[in-house]
Amino acid sequence: MDTDKLIASLTENADPVQRLPSPWVRTASWFAIAVPYIAVIVMMMAPRDDLAVKFTDFRFLLEQIAALCTAIGAAVAAFQSIVPGYNRRFLLLPLVPLSVWLASVGEGCVEAWLRGGALQNFTSDFLCIPAIALVGMLPAVAMALMLRKGAPLWPHTSAALGGLAAAGLGNFGLRLFHGQDASLMVLVWQMGTVFMLTILCGWAGRLFLDWRPVVARVRRNLAAH
Amino acid sequence: MQAAQAGDMRAYERLLREITPRLRQMVRKRRQFFTAEEVEDLVQEILLSIHAVRATYDPKRPFMPWLSTIAHNRLIDSARRFYRGKSNEVQMDELPVTFAGDWTNIENEEYRDPEELSIAIKSLPEGQRKAIEMLKLREMSLKEAAAASGTTIGALKISIHRAVLNLRKALNKE
Repeated sequence: MDTDKLIASLTENADPVQRLPSPWVRTASWFAIAVPYIAVIVMMMAPRDDLAVKFTDFRFLLEQIAALCTAIGAAVAAFQSIVPGYNRRFLLLPLVPLSVWLASVGEGCVEAWLRGGALQNFTSDFLCIPAIALVGMLPAVAMALMLRKGAPLWPHTSAALGGLAAAGLGNFGLRLFHGQDASLMVLVWQMGTVFMLTILCGWAGRLFLDWRPVVARVRRNLAAH
Repeated sequence: MQAAQAGDMRAYERLLREITPRLRQMVRKRRQFFTAEEVEDLVQEILLSIHAVRATYDPKRPFMPWLSTIAHNRLIDSARRFYRGKSNEVQMDELPVTFAGDWTNIENEEYRDPEELSIAIKSLPEGQRKAIEMLKLREMSLKEAAAASGTTIGALKISIHRAVLNLRKALNKE
């Protein structure tokens, strides 16, 4: 098709569009969907008995806040990554809370190592993988649907950030009903699952974020008119 | 773009017409090995992409970085597809014939020595020579040749078949 004709048909079919809200507003909307779901899951799984005591534990609080901030930072970065024109340095936003989270868990591991017997308490805890996936499932689906409304500029990065946001939130929810606080266990099973899910989502990015279907949809609309 | 988002068709058309030469220039500069047709295809892809994601533009932010991010992204995307396509292609020599055997290449065979061919035709029996002259040299139809020579079409077909065999034999011998 001639470019002039293409412009003419694009403008003929240019219906008003609803502007995409800012990444922070979209993060708040995503949270409004994810938080009630996580609350329901935590209630269904029964919150841990020592939860009230845990809220006075500095390390637990720090790690939970860091997990929550990682989820928020990753969600903001994911929503920014699908808006053209933003500085790509914003994509590093979740690294700050993530490093606090890792440092706290790492410090706990070192402390346990110095005390001795850190490895003796290490057991397999495969429950973490499906549990984090279950808690993070709806947030992940909501995130994927919301990311599809933007421009698929960096599919793998956007999907990985979205996955980190969902898995971070999943881990936050998990620790409210799963009584496992040994740092090495948290590092290997919980954070390991978060990283694994992040990588998996990043790998699958191009399956739902790609220019081809986006452009094909426009072509179909043009052909239909 | 703000007006275009609100559904102002004229403003949108003006904007697209203004940015198209810039996009064309950008594509030409970055993809110097592209043909004019490929450049135009990529410009159209960028225009379609802009149209598809026009809801992501925030009027509080500058327009040019928004536009150049999309254009740059589509350029990278096209390069990725180009190299992926190239890596899946198998380079082959263009073969002039389907099979290597001599019998498949009769149609493309050229008589290198017309004089030799002329002598071979003259040495054919009269019926076969006349058949060759009428059907192959004068390019008459079987019906016309049959009427001119006073024979049947079937007899002409036999004569031409035998003539070709004799000519091939005579020319290959030397």
